[in-house]
Amino acid sequence: MKAIKIAHMYPERMSIYGDFGNVLALSQRMNWRGIKNETVMVEVGQKLPKDIDLIFIGGGQDKGQVVVAKDLKSKSSQIKEFVESGGPLLSVCGGYQLLGEYFISNDYGQIEGIGLFNVISKATDTRMIGNIVVQSEKFGQLVGFENHSGATEFIGRAQPLGTVKKGFGNNPNDKLEGVIYKNALGTYLHGSFLPKNPKVADWLIRQAIKHSGQSFKIKELNDELENSARKFAAKRP
Amino acid sequence: MRSLLAIMAAKAALRANRVTGSGGTALPGMLAQKLDKDILAKLVKNNFPGGIIVVTGTNGKTTTTKLIANILEEAGITYVHNKAGSNMERGLISTMAESTNLSGKVEAEVALFEVDEAFMPRVCRAIEPDTIVVTNLFRDQLDRYGELDKIARSFRNLFEELPSTKLVLNSDDPLVASLGYDLENERKAIYFGVGDYNGPKIINDHTADSIFDPFTQQKLHYTEKYFGHIGRYRGKRGGFTRPKPDFQANNVKQKGIESIKFAVNNSTKVVKLDMPGLFNVYNSIAAYAVAKVSLDLEENNIIYALNESSAAFGRSEVLNYLNREVLILLIKNPTGLNQVIQTYLLKEKDRLLVFVINDNFADGRDISWLWDAAFEDLKGYMGKVIVGGTRAYDMALRLKYSGLKGVSVEPDESKLMELIEKNSTKRSKVFILPTYTAMLSIRSKIVSGDEKAKEFWQ
Repeated sequence: MKAIKIAHMYPERMSIYGDFGNVLALSQRMNWRGIKNETVMVEVGQKLPKDIDLIFIGGGQDKGQVVVAKDLKSKSSQIKEFVESGGPLLSVCGGYQLLGEYFISNDYGQIEGIGLFNVISKATDTRMIGNIVVQSEKFGQLVGFENHSGATEFIGRAQPLGTVKKGFGNNPNDKLEGVIYKNALGTYLHGSFLPKNPKVADWLIRQAIKHSGQSFKIKELNDELENSARKFAAKRP
Repeated sequence: MRSLLAIMAAKAALRANRVTGSGGTALPGMLAQKLDKDILAKLVKNNFPGGIIVVTGTNGKTTTTKLIANILEEAGITYVHNKAGSNMERGLISTMAESTNLSGKVEAEVALFEVDEAFMPRVCRAIEPDTIVVTNLFRDQLDRYGELDKIARSFRNLFEELPSTKLVLNSDDPLVASLGYDLENERKAIYFGVGDYNGPKIINDHTADSIFDPFTQQKLHYTEKYFGHIGRYRGKRGGFTRPKPDFQANNVKQKGIESIKFAVNNSTKVVKLDMPGLFNVYNSIAAYAVAKVSLDLEENNIIYALNESSAAFGRSEVLNYLNREVLILLIKNPTGLNQVIQTYLLKEKDRLLVFVINDNFADGRDISWLWDAAFEDLKGYMGKVIVGGTRAYDMALRLKYSGLKGVSVEPDESKLMELIEKNSTKRSKVFILPTYTAMLSIRSKIVSGDEKAKEFWQ
């Protein structure tokens, strides 16, 4: 068995918000199944390894985003090729914004994204804060906590991650949350996102296995605690 | 006339609070503010011959304020101060209304306030403090405060607006230290810091928020990292570097979970705190700096007061519950939680551990931060763990992913207390780690439980 390699991008600048929980969920859910895995941290100025099977990028402050956006540009084609070839990717909040076309921030003007997703984001005066519940066709009920003033909109064709049942999602208007393009996801859900939404975690793991050229099935885990936590979270104000 | 009405209204509301036992401190302040929007300025500004001291920052506000209060007490200086949890504008007004007579006069020399970071600009513009202390800045309840950089910028603007205020800043926190860098008119901030620390450290530390030069965004080089982004650092090629502290704690030595000691600068006199943890060294050295530069007190008197101090309400407080020794350790963000793990839990591997995580407004609705705390450092812990609170299942999930086994979940608080009793014996040590609102209710249950026990034995 070949080890599954996760790239955790920019943990120093883009992990303000429980983002380690996402990487931890991926790695533990593989450990519990006996699937070998390793996590590589990729910081600004460092190379993104060629043999990665899964990419994660979290959220950061606007200031950090400026520096990260520049670095992302240099990795743009590699990330796009990875996604086009079916590689799984999860981006949360600030990371999601930087994978779109651009993000217009309040203090730092327009920050260019890499245009992986057909979305644009703009800073607004409303801070979209609170518990959020989303219904997704692919993954069922998703819960998390959102905290962003950037509003994201689709340009051209794009598929949302789900419909907002409680909270804001991409923006205050269209009740859509996140984006899916091939096996790449963008979302505003913190919480951390993956531990309470294990269906998404397992889906990412399955795609990563496939991308690594392996074809084994993964076994079901006991997700009683995960499901209880999700049910409780969905009821909180 | 208007302010007289405002004071009277607030006083009446405070009395009503006491009668009904509701104990809220925001309402009287709100009433007074409705009647006179400038009431805080009128009650505080220029009203204290000994000075107005404000303490802010993410962690350590309450303890630092309490230490300064103890120093004032020992020095025989009269003062007014707000209680923990009343650190927003209205809480301050309530505090003032309580200690002011109807002509708006206060019989105290010094005003000492801990102030919530988000309310700093408004409060300080109104009261124009003589001294502002910033303990540290870490990610904390981002749902309430927003991003760290924004808080820092609001502080910096405020400091320039108050040119004669003394700034007492943490030299070991790059973001806080940078707030005193290159101020207008060659004004200098006063810095406090720690020179060395050889105690236990967190391995899985994900709480470093400000490890970059705040001006160039280049990564800082740390020669020592104590916790999070707190340590001794320098920038690349003449970039932003840790300012030399005016007050530095040296020879820091931790003794078990009981106490920690240090000396200030080159002094031969030892400060021996009756509470553990490096974070309390920071709180103490900050209080020491204030006592020196703002109160002009003698070293001997300051050290005596610090040595006599005990922990603040709900912050590493030791209580007795049904003959069990219970330590209540308030947790509210990953840095604070890591400090608790670093100080108390690394060596205490076989005690009962209780986490109570609420997500009420005062706790912060968001509990994402649990995932950034270093529960992985508890690896090897053999004791029992109980989790409670409105987010008991989230906490249990966090521990599951950290690899900790033997965790019981009980969201119901009364049943939780029973479970604590069942899983401990007389004379055993129980560590309770609650969020703010959980701390208030658990503490009152423990105190009343203890009284029942006493009554029973009498």
